[in-house]
Amino acid sequence: MAMLLVLFVWPLLRVVGTSFTGNGVTLANYRALVTDPTYAIVLVYTFRVSLVVTLLCLLLAYPVAWVISSLRGHWLHLCLGLVLVPFWTSTVIRTYAWLVVFQRRGALNDVLLSLGLISSPLRLVNDGVGMQVAMVHIMLPFMVLPVLSAMWGLDNTLLRAASLLGANPLRQFWHVHLPLTMPGLSAGCVLVFIMSLGFFITPALLGGQHIMVAVLIQQQASRLLNWPMASAVSSVLLVVTCVLYIGYDHLSRRASGADLLGAGR
Amino acid sequence: MNAAGPLVWRVVRYALVALTVVVLLYLFLPTLIIVPISFSRESFLVFPPPGYSLRWYHALADSIDYQSAVLNSLIIGVPVALLATVFGTLAAVPLVRGRIPAARGLSALMLAPVVLPQIVLAIGLYPIMVRLGLIGSYPAVLLGHTVVCTPLVFVTVSAALRGYSPSMELAAMTLGATWWRAFWWVTFPLIRPAMVVGFIFAFTFSFDELILAMFLTSPTTRTLPRLLWEQLNYQMTPIIAAATSCILCLTVALLIVGALLSRRRGFGRPA
Repeated sequence: MAMLLVLFVWPLLRVVGTSFTGNGVTLANYRALVTDPTYAIVLVYTFRVSLVVTLLCLLLAYPVAWVISSLRGHWLHLCLGLVLVPFWTSTVIRTYAWLVVFQRRGALNDVLLSLGLISSPLRLVNDGVGMQVAMVHIMLPFMVLPVLSAMWGLDNTLLRAASLLGANPLRQFWHVHLPLTMPGLSAGCVLVFIMSLGFFITPALLGGQHIMVAVLIQQQASRLLNWPMASAVSSVLLVVTCVLYIGYDHLSRRASGADLLGAGR
Repeated sequence: MNAAGPLVWRVVRYALVALTVVVLLYLFLPTLIIVPISFSRESFLVFPPPGYSLRWYHALADSIDYQSAVLNSLIIGVPVALLATVFGTLAAVPLVRGRIPAARGLSALMLAPVVLPQIVLAIGLYPIMVRLGLIGSYPAVLLGHTVVCTPLVFVTVSAALRGYSPSMELAAMTLGATWWRAFWWVTFPLIRPAMVVGFIFAFTFSFDELILAMFLTSPTTRTLPRLLWEQLNYQMTPIIAAATSCILCLTVALLIVGALLSRRRGFGRPA
């Protein structure tokens, strides 16, 4: 266990250490990070995309989890399977599928062209929109599953009590359902947001010139061999993720015992 | 409540069900598109394919690259899952059962490797592995994956430990069992299903992981995701579709087997 912590903490400390190197010990990398607009643009863009992806996942996942939680028997197994199969399928494979769908002569453009909805193929690869659609697709199970487990844990007698007391479905939802599923909801949101911030595969394949932070780090390290700069960007990502993670941990400790991965209860 | 009330709610309900169907299709259909393409006759990606053949499956079966990549993924994935299961369990038992100061903080630290972006860990591990002379070797990526997979076992085993009362072990020890015998005869059988689930989680994660593999493996030790990645970036033939269709079938088959097993053992919901 100690060995694992060493293998985990040592590399991270090294990253932070390297980020201050250059010509001797220097803050030059961070100065570049602040003054050079390309880095700021990437950081802001990554934040914006992660926020959009998290919100879309939330809006799509909540109704789905609600419907699945009301199912029994074969329908439950079928719907759960439809969520779990993508969850277990490799991200590389699912991104590849979107590449096939989105490319110039791909499935989506074919359908739209034959329906006469567009006159020339849309450029969806290397466009931020295609990347975000694919990212929502990949992150969605990570939102559905914690929300679903919170809904399964819900005490149905509370909802019945609310309806007997004359609350309409909207009020039942707002005053009973939503507060009681909040732990699963916030766990899903934090998980999806953190994963989106450091996401590499889909932005690298579908993002084109819309670069996200992880792609920037990989380019700096592997192509430009600028390890100090890659380390500086990594350190920023590390600090932001740590702050989010620790903040969430504090919140959940105060609220209930919910773990980030939704399985710890 | 006015008369239109119940009707409105029924419409809302139907709308939600319809939305669910659309979202589930959105989750499922794009991945399925790969299957017909894998049977394409052409060497470029078009959908629907102009003609069908098995040529890409033949190419896949003959490809030495894919054979060695699958082998590498297994050589790395199985030991990673074993190590992660041992370490994850060894960490979970004292942190949940023992009276360790700051157990909550340590638990958060145990989870951190899987939550923090892998690219950061990769950037940090690369120079260390270079200095240790391990870069590109199996141990390099094995250690890297074990670090990231241990939390997955830690989570499932911790959940199982919290699921039953510590009085079980206390009873065994009151009856004269040593700590070790109590663990072996009481704790271990109770957490074994969780350890199996954790093992599967860890193996799948290692089998899928791209970023650490990209930085830590060499062309001779490259894993399946890294090979797929390189092919995606340099040549876009349907051989990738054939390979991914095979993996897809395997995934579905494993999930069905898992669901059947868990139903037979009566573990309740297959989640």
